[in-house]
Amino acid sequence: MAFTSWEFLLLTAGAAVVYYLLHRHTQWPVLLAASLIFYAAGGLGAMVWLFAIAAVTWGAGLVLERMNDARKALSKGDKAGQQRIKRRKKAVVAVTAVLCFGLVYVMKYWNTTVALFPAAVEQILPRWDFLMPLGLSFFTFQSVGYVIDVYRSKYAAQRNPAKYLLFVSFFPQMVQGPIGRYDALAPQLLARRSVDWRMVDRGIQLAMWGYFKKMVIADRAAVVVNTVIGENCPYGGAVIFVGILAYSIQLYCDFSGGIDITRGVAQIFGIDMAENFLRPIFATSLADYWRRWHVSLGHWMRDYLFYPLSLSKPFAKLGKWGRRHLGGLPGKILATSAATFVVYLVIGIWHGVNFRYFVYGIWNGSLITISMLMEHRFLAWKQALHINDKSRGYHFFTMARTWLIVLFGRYIGSSPRLLVALSLMATTILHPVPSQLWDGTLLQLGITGTDWAIIGLGTAVVLAVETFQERGGKVRETLERQNGFVQWLAIAVPLIVILLLGVFRAGYISSSFIYGQY
Amino acid sequence: MKEKIIQIMSEICPGVDFATETALIDDGLVDSLDIVNIVTELMDVFDVEINVEDLLPENFNSVDAIAQLIEQLQE
Amino acid sequence: MQPKRWFLMFCATAAALVLALMAFNYVTDPFGAFGDRFFQWFSYDETNNPRVAKVSYLQQHHEEYDSYVIGCSSSSSLPTEALNELYDASFYNMIMYGADMADCEKIANYLLDNYQVENLVLNIEISDGASYNTESDPLTYGLHHLEDPDLPALTYYTRYLLANPRYGYAKLQSLETDTILPQSFDVFDEKTGTYDKRVRDVEPIGNLETYLAAYSDFTTLDQSGTVGLYQTENCMKSVAAIRDACAAKGVNFVVMTAPIYGAYFNKYQPGSVENFYTQLAQVTPYWDFSCSSLSWEPRYFYDATHFRNCVGEMMVARMAGDDSVWMPDDFGVYVTADNVSDHLAGSLTAQPMDAAENSAQVPILMYHHIVEEDDGSGSVTVDQFRAQMDALLDAGYTTVSLQELADYVNHGGDLPEKPVAITFDDGYASNYELAYPILRERNMKATIFVIGVSVGKDTYKDTDHAMTPHFSYEQAAEMVSSGLISVQSHTYDMHQWAPYESGDQVRENILPLAGESETDYVAALTEDFTTSRDLLEAATGEPVTALAFPTGLYTTLTSAVLRDLGVEVTLSTNPGVNTVVRGLPQSLCAMLRIGVNSETTVDALLASLQP
Repeated sequence: MAFTSWEFLLLTAGAAVVYYLLHRHTQWPVLLAASLIFYAAGGLGAMVWLFAIAAVTWGAGLVLERMNDARKALSKGDKAGQQRIKRRKKAVVAVTAVLCFGLVYVMKYWNTTVALFPAAVEQILPRWDFLMPLGLSFFTFQSVGYVIDVYRSKYAAQRNPAKYLLFVSFFPQMVQGPIGRYDALAPQLLARRSVDWRMVDRGIQLAMWGYFKKMVIADRAAVVVNTVIGENCPYGGAVIFVGILAYSIQLYCDFSGGIDITRGVAQIFGIDMAENFLRPIFATSLADYWRRWHVSLGHWMRDYLFYPLSLSKPFAKLGKWGRRHLGGLPGKILATSAATFVVYLVIGIWHGVNFRYFVYGIWNGSLITISMLMEHRFLAWKQALHINDKSRGYHFFTMARTWLIVLFGRYIGSSPRLLVALSLMATTILHPVPSQLWDGTLLQLGITGTDWAIIGLGTAVVLAVETFQERGGKVRETLERQNGFVQWLAIAVPLIVILLLGVFRAGYISSSFIYGQY
Repeated sequence: MKEKIIQIMSEICPGVDFATETALIDDGLVDSLDIVNIVTELMDVFDVEINVEDLLPENFNSVDAIAQLIEQLQE
Repeated sequence: MQPKRWFLMFCATAAALVLALMAFNYVTDPFGAFGDRFFQWFSYDETNNPRVAKVSYLQQHHEEYDSYVIGCSSSSSLPTEALNELYDASFYNMIMYGADMADCEKIANYLLDNYQVENLVLNIEISDGASYNTESDPLTYGLHHLEDPDLPALTYYTRYLLANPRYGYAKLQSLETDTILPQSFDVFDEKTGTYDKRVRDVEPIGNLETYLAAYSDFTTLDQSGTVGLYQTENCMKSVAAIRDACAAKGVNFVVMTAPIYGAYFNKYQPGSVENFYTQLAQVTPYWDFSCSSLSWEPRYFYDATHFRNCVGEMMVARMAGDDSVWMPDDFGVYVTADNVSDHLAGSLTAQPMDAAENSAQVPILMYHHIVEEDDGSGSVTVDQFRAQMDALLDAGYTTVSLQELADYVNHGGDLPEKPVAITFDDGYASNYELAYPILRERNMKATIFVIGVSVGKDTYKDTDHAMTPHFSYEQAAEMVSSGLISVQSHTYDMHQWAPYESGDQVRENILPLAGESETDYVAALTEDFTTSRDLLEAATGEPVTALAFPTGLYTTLTSAVLRDLGVEVTLSTNPGVNTVVRGLPQSLCAMLRIGVNSETTVDALLASLQP
């Protein structure tokens, strides 16, 4: 079920009505029922995998809890017993991770991996074509996170399989996350609540903002991206750059718009889900960018991959080796840099098994490592050049620098293959052909001048709102303080814009076009 | 102990006033990469074992909090 | 504001918007889904979706019809009037572009179940063997819910009530730019259900190369021979179902296959076309018009899959056994299961007609005033004219009248080997005094186009300004009775001379005046031509069916109006030699003429007659 379908709106509205009607009773089964309906609408076959991941991780949680209890029962001096249980717990986590991530890997990347082998090997191996369950990567990460939390005794495991299934399958998060934490999300899902109109209103407003970004801006920009970015691109560098900008706008508005719809819908049920975007355009460095972009994934990687990895024995040994043989700052950060590389490689693979994502991972890891190494030198340069790093100008400089770095990454992310990305980059620098920006080429990319204006205006509105938010402003709170007419405009205008420029943007076929074929 | 902590942290995060800041994590002055670098140094220097479960904002928001954590772990 | 009130305001606004959308779509009704109650512009609705709009139209008008043509768009050019005469019925053409046999079966059942049907003519096109029940855009290809038992009414209504309002908006915009003649948004004729081809039916057509250059459809066809006709069996099942439904209700069921441009068949796998027709003959006898020598002449088609209205006349004439309409001998065969293999052996290998068989090169000379002596005005002198006429005869040319050209085109008449037509514009007295005697001596024919207001005058209309004298109606009658001269129209008063006119709106030619509305123009043109024709016919007894455009200028609307008034031949002043094609009235539109003046030498004249 797509967010942009009438069915989804009907499901949300219907579920909310039933949910709040039952406010004196147990309400969470309503959410579970709605989630199962949502998921089933995408095909009953896919539900098998959802149940499989949920079952495995739920079972692992219970087993780990039993082991935790066993450990507590041991006497304080029983080091051997403690070690034994610790090893068993680690084994449970390892098996769970292998099963779950293995499933994800096989379903997403089996065929691509097979294609990497030489032809002789390729022919022996079977090809498996799976219908991808919706949000597989997201709910798998979320479930494994739960298992690791129970391993760390952060909270008690969930005994009720239905309640646990709700945590895994809560419908707003099934399309593209955010990746939630059990201790933040589950209590909210399972609580009983009466309708809080303010939350409902804010949820609706947030969802409208998401629909605006997705349908009015992202879907329009997508047309340009599909025309310009690809093999055999016939355009000059300037148009390619415009295409990359359009790609950046599309990617952000589509992803963050979808997240806004997710969180808005959850808020209608009184549930606050994790933030996933914190105004990435204001990032002052690549590291800062990754703290603002796909935040829930970044936090998951930090808490469940980066910290354990960099504090693990092998990496500790690497760190000691580094300190002894390299010395100085490089030696101190060798282990963490290595762990950083691993994290960004995993993030790369998360996007796809393709050499370019490998490069993408290396690119990010390298830049962050280099900036760590150069931090002292940067500080020295700033002092030597008398740059005030608190000034607006310097702040803007850091933002612009980050934009360029991220745009470079976008070349890799948007192209089908690394060679295509490199060729597009080369064309951008070597054959800009700036005249194509004003000779009408931009109107032959699949959208009209009006569409460009809408993209421009829409992006400007988003920037204005995000600037307001970056300065600490709270949009919905501010709206609530306005007079009735302004508040009504803030309902009517977005609805009309979404309807006319979003829902009814495409799908119009002129009769002369059809008739002309006959 | 506190001076040593400040010295370790300044080498990894130059330009931050560790003596007075009390929201190092919350204000983003020290990020996750810095944390791990600092923690591995601290483990080496003070001979304690800091686990992932200890990597909470409240334990690292100020030099005082860090000192408190190390003292707890040394028990 | 209280949060709960905000929520209610939100719901109310959202509901209001949805209702507004539904109301807008209901009122504009660009697909005719709700009967187009406010605009009743079915020609527009049917262009967006004929499947829906035609049913809505019939719901309101079915009492006027008792017979139907069904099929995809290639069925359009069947002349409803001729069909009505042949079957003594009142036909409505239910064609829907892109309809496949599954759609036709549903439509047939719908018609038979709901309306009075005496005759059902089914047109089958070869592409019906390739696509059957294909998925397509619901708004523009969906059927009316009454036609389609698989489509619930609720789905149908929500589909059109919640449709993209751009369609309704486009309809309102088109209303502003609507003209009498069809445009790309209103291609149907509401009363008959056929395509309104008034624009293409008055386009001047001449030689083949020019036509192919203008319409690249004929030369860019898929010739790969790889497309399969895998739906032949399904197609035939539906045909059989329609046949049986008609038999059960005692309806006269006639099946035909429409003419298609020959090269179009080359995209299908070898043998599949033969198989298709053989299968069809097993299910029902049919009139095969699709493969014959006519199929190889592009000028008989609007495009590769749509034959012209004039060809439709041939088809009905063949079915009626009417010999007065010209058509190629091998065109139109009644095929049954017995003769199908013999027929296909010939028709699938039909060859194009020889150019000499169906077309002729006809130069038309254009003279104006003849003078005794060269007076520097550029007018041809009597001696020059005499020498030119002699030269024509010596070179073997035979003069023809425009009526002979019309007979060649429409009724299978013949033309001499080297035809030439001589014309005079304006109707000067010199034509009678100087040219006519020379022509009469040599038994040569000519056509003179007279300006109605100037007939028999030597002053300009009702002023005192002197004017070159024009011959009178009596003199015209005399010339006509000789059998050599034809007197036709150069308009009544649409060749005015501005300096002598007092009003601010001068009609120097047949074009509309600046700012003149279409209705006013049509009325003015109709009245002008009718006056011109009536006066001439009363005087000479000869039918007026030709008109030469003053200064050679004209619009499509001009041609369409004149055609409706019975004009068969129109002439321009564009130079060149005409290609006149049998069965193609468009080859008589805006014919080319070679102007002759005092500078024209005999050699130059003879050279200009070469195609």
